[in-house]
Amino acid sequence: MTSPYAIQVINLTHTYISKKEEIVALKSVSFDVSPSEFVALVGSSGCGKSTLLSLIAGIFPSTHGKILLYGQEVRGPTPLTGYMLQKDGLLEWRTVEQNLTLGLEIQRQATREKIAHARFLLGQMGLSHVLHHFPSQLSGGMRQRVALVRTLAVQPEILLLDEPFSALDIQNKLHLEELLIQVLREHKKTAVLVTHDLEEAIAMADRIIVLGGQPGEIRRTLEVPDEIRSLSPLKARGHALFRPLFEELWREVERP
Amino acid sequence: MNRSIWVHWLERGATSETHAAYLRKLRIRQVMIWLVRISLLIGLLGGWEWATRTGWLDPFLFSSPSLIWNQAVQLAGSGELFYHIQTTTVETILGFLLGTASGISLATLIWASPFLSRVLDPYLVVLNSMPKVALGPLFIVAMGTGFGSVLAMGIAITIIITTLVIHSSFQSVDKSYLILARSFGATRSQIFRTIIFPACIPDMIAALKVNVGLAWVGVIVGEFLVSKAGLGYLIIYGFQVFNLNLVMLSLVVVALIATIMYQLISWLEHRLLRHRSVT
Repeated sequence: MTSPYAIQVINLTHTYISKKEEIVALKSVSFDVSPSEFVALVGSSGCGKSTLLSLIAGIFPSTHGKILLYGQEVRGPTPLTGYMLQKDGLLEWRTVEQNLTLGLEIQRQATREKIAHARFLLGQMGLSHVLHHFPSQLSGGMRQRVALVRTLAVQPEILLLDEPFSALDIQNKLHLEELLIQVLREHKKTAVLVTHDLEEAIAMADRIIVLGGQPGEIRRTLEVPDEIRSLSPLKARGHALFRPLFEELWREVERP
Repeated sequence: MNRSIWVHWLERGATSETHAAYLRKLRIRQVMIWLVRISLLIGLLGGWEWATRTGWLDPFLFSSPSLIWNQAVQLAGSGELFYHIQTTTVETILGFLLGTASGISLATLIWASPFLSRVLDPYLVVLNSMPKVALGPLFIVAMGTGFGSVLAMGIAITIIITTLVIHSSFQSVDKSYLILARSFGATRSQIFRTIIFPACIPDMIAALKVNVGLAWVGVIVGEFLVSKAGLGYLIIYGFQVFNLNLVMLSLVVVALIATIMYQLISWLEHRLLRHRSVT
């Protein structure tokens, strides 16, 4: 881990090829993310932000360009990254506990210690009492929290979050934002969040990258001022600087 | 006094006056349904018996409940009935279990190799469209006139459709599960074992349910063609010697056992799937 950056995206281009056509989803995207930094990717639908995240997670290879995680080139999924989606993806036939250990099982890491750690994290989320429940017995907010613990259980350095809260109601969403920020700060994790919710991006991120166009390119990078960053996501929304930043971001995303 | 016990039973578990009224209504309806079901059965059987006794129907052609009963008592007494029931039941259970298991294995093989899947596709379509009982003579030539041929028929009739159904079920597993497993670095075989196979268990049980019925068709037709034992044999034998009592008795027994098997699988389904929400 000699690289000063957790993530380096270098001149990344991705093209989806099917029988009928060829669609360029991303074009020459480059940016860096420092360790324990929180970066949000925003942009209109179809600008390639989810594609970018899947490429960082190593779900499929990019057409051109490179992604480095701590200096190592991504050639497939690595234990360095934890990936979380809008759909919680909890397996209905497994109990909460068995769901939590899914990643550990796949990576053949299901030691007693790591399982105990997963249980501890579940406790931090206030969900110890549902350990032996099945997902169908949980509410949407609880399910998403379990999904978050499942992602954290494999102890990734980098969290890749693809609109993880967009299916939740506002109350659950705010709670989860708070929880996530707490966990990230406590464990000094790096995070990349893809979202279409600009408020969420400002409230949570240190830096916001605006993607746009088709194919998607980086339009602008906005630093979130320290005054907002130091506040919790809920309090940040009430800060005097929040609205002006939101409006600036809005104009940038809306620009044709 | 009697009436109050009756009302009490109807309102058991009620938490309020309104709830009691609701439960009463619900349970009276349920009781009525059962009463009509049973009356219908008694009416049909009684009518049949009456019609044959008064000579309105010829008992030689149409048999009658009492004649069927006598036939049952006679065959059960000699132990013959149970021998035939056992033969057919074993053939059917083996047929649908082996057919379903082989179908699932074949689907797994095809899933493992998309290339093989494309290669075999037209063959599966042809085999699926083929009426499997038409293969009977081939089985007899290959396996002789006995247990083997009947079992082969039971398997043949279930295996292809199971393969097709389960393979398409494998392919329709929610993509977000697959991305999730991929993100943890799962290999293709891990994805299959931890996600795809367990996700498709409900469809496998549904296939089992359908296959019970299909296996009965295969086994009975198989017994028509070749065997010296089993309920299908009894039906054909009874038909040939024109003992319609025997034919009717066999049909009743087939219906009973098929129903029991179906109920057992429904129970199994309920046990295995009680934690899954309807998605």
